[in-house]
Amino acid sequence: MFKIKKFERGLGIARKRRQYDLPLNKGNGGNFLKLLIALMTFLAMLGVASIFALSAMTDRWSSGLENKATIEIPAKDNSGTVFEQSHMDTLQDQVFNFLQNYPAVDTVEVMDKEEIKSLVAPWLGEGLSYDNIPLPGILTISFKDDVIFDTDALENKLKTFAPQIRLDTHQSWLADVLRFTGALNFAAVLITIVIGITTIVAVAGAVQSRMAIYHEELELLHLMGAEDSYISRQLQRYVLILSLQGAAIGTAIGGLIMFMVGLLAGEMDISLLPDFHLSIMQIFLLICLPLLVALLGMVTARQTVLRVLAQMP
Amino acid sequence: MIKFEHVGLRYGVGPEILSDVNFTLDQGSFHFLSGPSGAGKTSLMSLMYLGRRPTRGIVSMFGQNVGQMGRHDLKKIRQRIGVVFQDFRLLNHMSAFDNIALPLRIMGESEKEIKANVDELMEWVGLGDHRHQLPNTMSGGQQQRIAIARAVITRPRLLLADEPTGNLDDEIGLRLMNLFDQLNRMGTTIVIASHNTLLMEKFSQHSRLILDKGQLRLIHPRKTIKQKLEGIF
Repeated sequence: MFKIKKFERGLGIARKRRQYDLPLNKGNGGNFLKLLIALMTFLAMLGVASIFALSAMTDRWSSGLENKATIEIPAKDNSGTVFEQSHMDTLQDQVFNFLQNYPAVDTVEVMDKEEIKSLVAPWLGEGLSYDNIPLPGILTISFKDDVIFDTDALENKLKTFAPQIRLDTHQSWLADVLRFTGALNFAAVLITIVIGITTIVAVAGAVQSRMAIYHEELELLHLMGAEDSYISRQLQRYVLILSLQGAAIGTAIGGLIMFMVGLLAGEMDISLLPDFHLSIMQIFLLICLPLLVALLGMVTARQTVLRVLAQMP
Repeated sequence: MIKFEHVGLRYGVGPEILSDVNFTLDQGSFHFLSGPSGAGKTSLMSLMYLGRRPTRGIVSMFGQNVGQMGRHDLKKIRQRIGVVFQDFRLLNHMSAFDNIALPLRIMGESEKEIKANVDELMEWVGLGDHRHQLPNTMSGGQQQRIAIARAVITRPRLLLADEPTGNLDDEIGLRLMNLFDQLNRMGTTIVIASHNTLLMEKFSQHSRLILDKGQLRLIHPRKTIKQKLEGIF
């Protein structure tokens, strides 16, 4: 069948199916546009995936830490003298009772020795005996949602039991971490926007160059009284088809890369990083991405054609 | 129907190609446009098919001043004009059939209507066996016939043809002139730019527009002058 068609074209016989009025399928301009869209879709996919990953990271780090605080009762006083265990227990009970009755506090939990050991084990080693090592007392509290309170005032009151007691609301380090991930997220959004703008500029440039190449044919249609929408529809359709093809290629490559990154991240077992699982909504958005890119290409083509045609007499 | 009042045209800052051109063409009239090379025939034609805007003066088409018309209305005017370009301007990636069908598709005609009209006209101009042929594989004469068929397929109110019989043999040339005549009798105004004095002699009943150095003269047909003389004496 293919050979017959090629033979017919060799004889100067046109295809039976109607072509565009402009010779858009001639030359390699279409392949360039397709490749460009594939690259842009791939980059946009990575950009959007980065946004999702950073959001997941931020959620993981901030979830469970809001409205919570940790109270540390060091095992030695300011001069370095280690407290007796009985003193530590008394101090811990006093603080516990105080916090239970404190209006802004919702729940109080005392962390047992085993939990504290497991917390310090990564720094001090697994096989160590903790019998002779003074471990601090740690209490975790959660605050009531609807009560506004002053953490400094609470810390000052806690210091009346022992001046070395520390109240850690996680806000200081969490704010830094969240600011950092927020900046990364912003950068990812910015990069995605830049990719979008680059796509618009590149498609507009490609369409303009095609229009310059086929200026005579365009002028002919114009002189025959073709409406601008009639001409732009053809270029829109052409760009939409190329964009969909390019976007499908870009999505396939992007999806493959993401899958491989997911596999590698799973093997590395980095506890600080979140598991990269996409929600249904995120998968839906990623599926929509190539369609959005194709739509962007089509709208850009339309606007470019209309702008160029408006310059004709 | 077509009225040029003090029309001038220049390209960029160069001298005027057309200067102070004044004429009126009535609906259903037939004219030859002649003049030496470089006299401005193609420029005048481009003003008539609205391919350019004059640098001065007023151009009125079908009773409307085109200088005051909106973009959409200009498209409608252009759809009433058929043009046969000197270099044909055929679309070589499309078949002869699709080339001729193009103006009808632009006007939004149905495919059924298009097929019936184009098939009939292709038979008439002797291209019935070349429907699916690409224009660039056809002879100059065949290409010219496609160009003419494309210009007349919509039965335009104004037909402008630049050397339409230049590449044709006498028989086909005469046949196409008869087609123009037939269209003219149906009310189409015809303007043919030509160097062919023999052709103009053969169809001497039509008036001649003579362009020289950017100025236009209108010579009425001999028959009309004779009739006028008869009326006087």
